[in-house]
Amino acid sequence: MRGFPTRLLAANALITAMLWAGFVAVVAIVAVGIGLFGTLGRSVWEPASQFVRFYALFFGIALVREWMPLYLAHGRTRRLFGLHGGITIALFAPFLAVLAALAYLVERGAYALADVPQNLDRRHLFTDPLQVHLVLAEYSLQYLAWIAAGALVGAAFYRWEGGGLLVIPLGVVIVALGEAATGDALPLIGERLGLALPQIPAVAALGAALLGAALTWMIVRDVPVRNRA
Amino acid sequence: MRVEVEDLVLRYGDVTALDGMSFSLEGGKIYGLLGRNGSGKTSLMSVLAAFRKQTAGRVSVGGRPVFENGEAVRDIALIRDTGEAVTIGTAEDALYFAEWLRPSWDSEYAESLMELFKLPRKKNVKEMSKGQRSAMGVVVGLASRAPLTMFDESYLGMDAPSRQAFYDALLADYIAHPRTIILSTHLIEEVSGLFEEVVIIHEGKVLVHEESEALLSRGVSVTGQAAHVDTFTAGLRVLGERQLGPTKSAMVYGELDAARRRKAVEAGLELGPINMQDLFIHLTGGSS
Amino acid sequence: MFDDRSPIYRQIADRIKAEILSEALKADEQVMSTNQYAAFYRINPATAAKAFQHLVDEGVLYKKRGIGMFVSPDARDMLRARRRETFFAEMVDPMIAEAKAIGIPLRDVVTRIEELGGDT
Repeated sequence: MRGFPTRLLAANALITAMLWAGFVAVVAIVAVGIGLFGTLGRSVWEPASQFVRFYALFFGIALVREWMPLYLAHGRTRRLFGLHGGITIALFAPFLAVLAALAYLVERGAYALADVPQNLDRRHLFTDPLQVHLVLAEYSLQYLAWIAAGALVGAAFYRWEGGGLLVIPLGVVIVALGEAATGDALPLIGERLGLALPQIPAVAALGAALLGAALTWMIVRDVPVRNRA
Repeated sequence: MRVEVEDLVLRYGDVTALDGMSFSLEGGKIYGLLGRNGSGKTSLMSVLAAFRKQTAGRVSVGGRPVFENGEAVRDIALIRDTGEAVTIGTAEDALYFAEWLRPSWDSEYAESLMELFKLPRKKNVKEMSKGQRSAMGVVVGLASRAPLTMFDESYLGMDAPSRQAFYDALLADYIAHPRTIILSTHLIEEVSGLFEEVVIIHEGKVLVHEESEALLSRGVSVTGQAAHVDTFTAGLRVLGERQLGPTKSAMVYGELDAARRRKAVEAGLELGPINMQDLFIHLTGGSS
Repeated sequence: MFDDRSPIYRQIADRIKAEILSEALKADEQVMSTNQYAAFYRINPATAAKAFQHLVDEGVLYKKRGIGMFVSPDARDMLRARRRETFFAEMVDPMIAEAKAIGIPLRDVVTRIEELGGDT
């Protein structure tokens, strides 16, 4: 198992794919409902995909709260967990992005059959879900930031319990920077301050994720396994 | 697996859990780690397993410092009732990941232990009863076959038959795969027979480290007429006394030579053994 | 007596001796291993080994390297001889003392002994 978190990734990918399938089914039912009782003219997956960001956040939290103690209890070092955790975040975010892109494509196909337009409301790097490479880029970067923020907050709460609250603002900053991946100016803050970073969304989001990962490592590199469950 | 602890200190904020503890274990034996609540058992084992970094002092297992030492920690397993080694999804999941993370994992043995303890494979470990979760810990701890295996009160919530099954399995597996095993327990009478050596810690320090049989041979109860008992025990280390009318029973700790024993018999005193639990209670300050 | 306090290894030794005396274990027969004894009594194998070592030191058992422990050819005779030496001190004297303490006439005791032992 030495270098690569195979089972960690495999198990989570499997569960996530199953949850995704269920979630897509729910979204489809909602879309059908809107079509029956109203007018379906825009993508339902687009707003629904917001939930995936929170899934990414909780994945980051669980990575530290559940998986790290498991590694340590089974005679593995924090360093190895750090390495595996990093690899896991780096691969899991694109995996979630693939699922998101797939959902857009499924939706596109279904809408085409029903002859309904798949309009997007929010701003994205892409203008059409068929620009798969841009969809993947945007969502990968965004989920990367959300998972990293989750890991950071999870690590802070694991180590300091209530003291973890102090780290939440940092998590919010990372997530907000991650939103830059949509190509938008920094949401909320950016608009107010008149900042615009549309040319460097990737840099901002990637930097945010790296910042989150680095801060997480600083917290866990010598963290004790908790004495209380 | 040799275990060396030197001037070990562990503090949690203002609380000193380990206060300059030193001892060494030769390894390859079953050790009993005894101590009252708050004596530092869990803290000690957590440092030995690199769950925690010590505040000061040195710890080595197999000649290597343990904290963040991959070569050292892969040989160490610590099972605590907090369950970090088993609480990941269902029982099946826990075994799947243990197999992956543990270098000397024995899957077949783990399966046989699952059957022994009648554990439900598909049940989420967090939803199991306390006893089942403890049994999961025992399964994972034994099947890890780590050269240094530690169980910290791994019987909590287990009923008497399950505990007996645990002790039998532990002994059988130790005989088949000799390794260093450290057991901490409050149920001393149940397990003391398994210990080859005993380490009693108290207030963060080692109070006694002895071979079990030697420790037991050191405790003698002296019973008879109060005045005679007092005369006999004068100058000896008396751990505790109980009186019933004119009869007194004193617990003496130390070697009694043949001459002294003869004197006791001549004075009409009865000498008897003290079990490990009573010795422990009195060595650590009596039943207060 | 102090030696009545029986550490577990003395219990094991006594059991094996009793088996030799009753001929449940015969000369040159292999005895169960320390590990089997340890598992049976739920004790540490080192403690069981100590019991065996006592018996080897006493000449009751002998060791065949790599095979196990065996009953010495003269173990039974030796144990019987030793028991005979202590028989009166350990069995008869306490019995007489007890009989006196509770008021059983020694004549009755003798009669009982003759009744029971009449055929030998």
